[in-house]
Amino acid sequence: MATEIKLPRLGQGMESGTIVKWLKSEGDKVEKGEPLYELDTDKVTQEVEADASGVLLKIAITEGEVEVGKTIAVIGEQGEEVATDVQEPSGEAAREVSDDEQEEGTPARAREQERERGRRASAEPSEQAAAMRASAENGGGGGRIKASPLARRIARERGIDLSAVAGTGPEGRVVAEDVERTAASGAPAPIAAPPAPTEGVEVEQLSSMRKTIARRLTEAWQAPVFQLGVTVDMGRALELRQRLVEMHGNGVKPTISDLVTKVCATALLRHRAVNALYRGDAVELYPTANIGIAVAVPNGLVVPVIQGCERKSIAEIAAARASVVERARAGKLQQADLEGGTFTISNLGMFGIERFIAVLNPPQAAILAVGSTEEKPVVVEGEVVVRPRMELTLTCDHRAVDGATGAEFLGDVKAFLEEPGLAL
Amino acid sequence: MPELSYREAVRDALSRAMRQDDDVFVMGEDIAEMGGSMGVTQGMLDEFGPERVRNTPISEMALAGAAIGAAMQGMRPVAEIMYEDFLTLATEQIVNQAAKHRYMSGGQLTVPVTFRTQGGSGWSPGAQHAQQLEAWFVHIPGLKVVFASTPTDVRGLLWSSIYDDNPVVFFEHRTLYGLKEEVPDELEPIPLGKARVHREGEDVTVIATGRLVHEAIAAAGEAEHEGVSVEVVDPRTLQPLDEDALISSVKKTNRCVVAHEAVTRMGFGAEVAAVIQYGAFDWLDAPIERVGAKFTPLPFAPVMEEWCVPHADDVLEAIYRTLGRAESSN
Repeated sequence: MATEIKLPRLGQGMESGTIVKWLKSEGDKVEKGEPLYELDTDKVTQEVEADASGVLLKIAITEGEVEVGKTIAVIGEQGEEVATDVQEPSGEAAREVSDDEQEEGTPARAREQERERGRRASAEPSEQAAAMRASAENGGGGGRIKASPLARRIARERGIDLSAVAGTGPEGRVVAEDVERTAASGAPAPIAAPPAPTEGVEVEQLSSMRKTIARRLTEAWQAPVFQLGVTVDMGRALELRQRLVEMHGNGVKPTISDLVTKVCATALLRHRAVNALYRGDAVELYPTANIGIAVAVPNGLVVPVIQGCERKSIAEIAAARASVVERARAGKLQQADLEGGTFTISNLGMFGIERFIAVLNPPQAAILAVGSTEEKPVVVEGEVVVRPRMELTLTCDHRAVDGATGAEFLGDVKAFLEEPGLAL
Repeated sequence: MPELSYREAVRDALSRAMRQDDDVFVMGEDIAEMGGSMGVTQGMLDEFGPERVRNTPISEMALAGAAIGAAMQGMRPVAEIMYEDFLTLATEQIVNQAAKHRYMSGGQLTVPVTFRTQGGSGWSPGAQHAQQLEAWFVHIPGLKVVFASTPTDVRGLLWSSIYDDNPVVFFEHRTLYGLKEEVPDELEPIPLGKARVHREGEDVTVIATGRLVHEAIAAAGEAEHEGVSVEVVDPRTLQPLDEDALISSVKKTNRCVVAHEAVTRMGFGAEVAAVIQYGAFDWLDAPIERVGAKFTPLPFAPVMEEWCVPHADDVLEAIYRTLGRAESSN
């Protein structure tokens, strides 16, 4: 019996993925657990393993974006017949898929409604089909914009959002003229038409990751944020770090970042309003500090998460950090590495940046920007002395965190770094 | 330049080929003394004699088979099937024999036969004498199919068909025989597989065959009064099809109407629509409109026949539909 390989849901909220390439060809033998294809989700590119053994009979979708649950390939026995129409799950199969993957939120429900309508339409062709057509005509077509292929092409080329264009064609279809008019008026086009590339300009299409970065950071920009800054005396912290390095044995050498992660975890549990996700109609306060570390990778930025930092020693945090950073740079992160974060730390100290403001990582309520540690003249007990100083800037989503709450949290982080014993 | 009718242009191509080349001859029912039921071969018996202008028994299968046999023996016969409705009787010979021998003999045989036939409505000949069956033959690999719409085209295309080494089914339209136009003194062969742009336009392309070419030109004239610029393209050869010409026209106008007299369902226009949507998908600003006869046997009654088959008005309405205008203004 052939097994249909469907696009898996690799993480919460994943609706679709982009198949980058197949690692096996049609006709190849495949063992369960063997890497089968590379999948680009909005967070990572990863190899997906075969969930059946046999012969790869058919690759239904060779590349491109695919909805979760859609059949992308068939594995079976050599010579087995494959139904040619394996692309659309139908009947019971569709029901199973959607039941298995029932989830909160509207997209899945909308899809299920579409399927239900399709099933009813095929059962009673005449009336139901008419009803379906009528509903589609009334704009009930699941949000699909009616536009001619030419209008779509022009919109694509000029970066015009079709949903912002009023259609004047039959049944409200957007035709080329409508797009031209919108382009000319310039008003509803959210993306300005880029000038034609000149000599020497390299045009890089956005990868899934870059699109996600763009979407999420634009989203973040809408949040009402405020920043709080402190300067930390790093004398004790550096001594502690030095001791830990001397004692690290075969483990990973701890860094200042690891120390900051650890003390943040302790402070977050004392100020749980900061260890929170803002959900629009609720704020979720988390009992564990799952701290995301912003990692620069060759083609963008990822934020792998170290789970339960409050329970981990600095050495354990260092080991976990080294592991995710290495995998991030190798492009080997799994979806699970990126999920569940409750707070993010972004450190540009190693680049000599003394202070900066990090952009919120929604739905998290706060993000900490860590600067470099610099020798600075400061006044201690009436004397000017030189001390290692580090600036921290906390960006808070004011919908979840108030100024005083943020200040108390940041005050504790400062205190713990200046006197690590307080964090015990 | 002499003025020739479509009928005379057909005769001119036949006669010139027969004068030039002893291998060419014509055969068919009542084509000799009577000159064919449409008068196309009138006078040819006198010039070429009964050996080369041959009357045949009233058996389309026999005459088609004989023509195919002659072609396989090296002749270039032109067989007349009096009405294309009667192609049904010769279909075994055309589809299973003529279309296949070159392929099945591994190229050792060729079948350079031309089946001339005519049909179409407009003079109330009834359900068995007015059909348009060209699409059937376009479906058969091994055949070429021509449908000429003007005197110049019919002459140049028939010449090329006679001298093509493959079997050609050559469609003429009954109502076009009287159509006159000036044609060049010299017969200019028109290559098979080359479309003709009758009229250039910017807004909508009408791809039309046979009688509908003239209806489309009339509709284009009407549309022009409304400020709509229509391009009219006649593929002329349905197989091989000049896909590039059709696609590039639609890429220019972004809208397409396909028009023929045959019924719309499974008509030649369906194939053209498929070619256009594939080749010009990102250039289409409206669904491709099809114009053709209603899906019914044709009635005898003239008013009913007229209602069933498409005319310039139908083409015009389709043009306006591609522009998102519900009806023409008149």
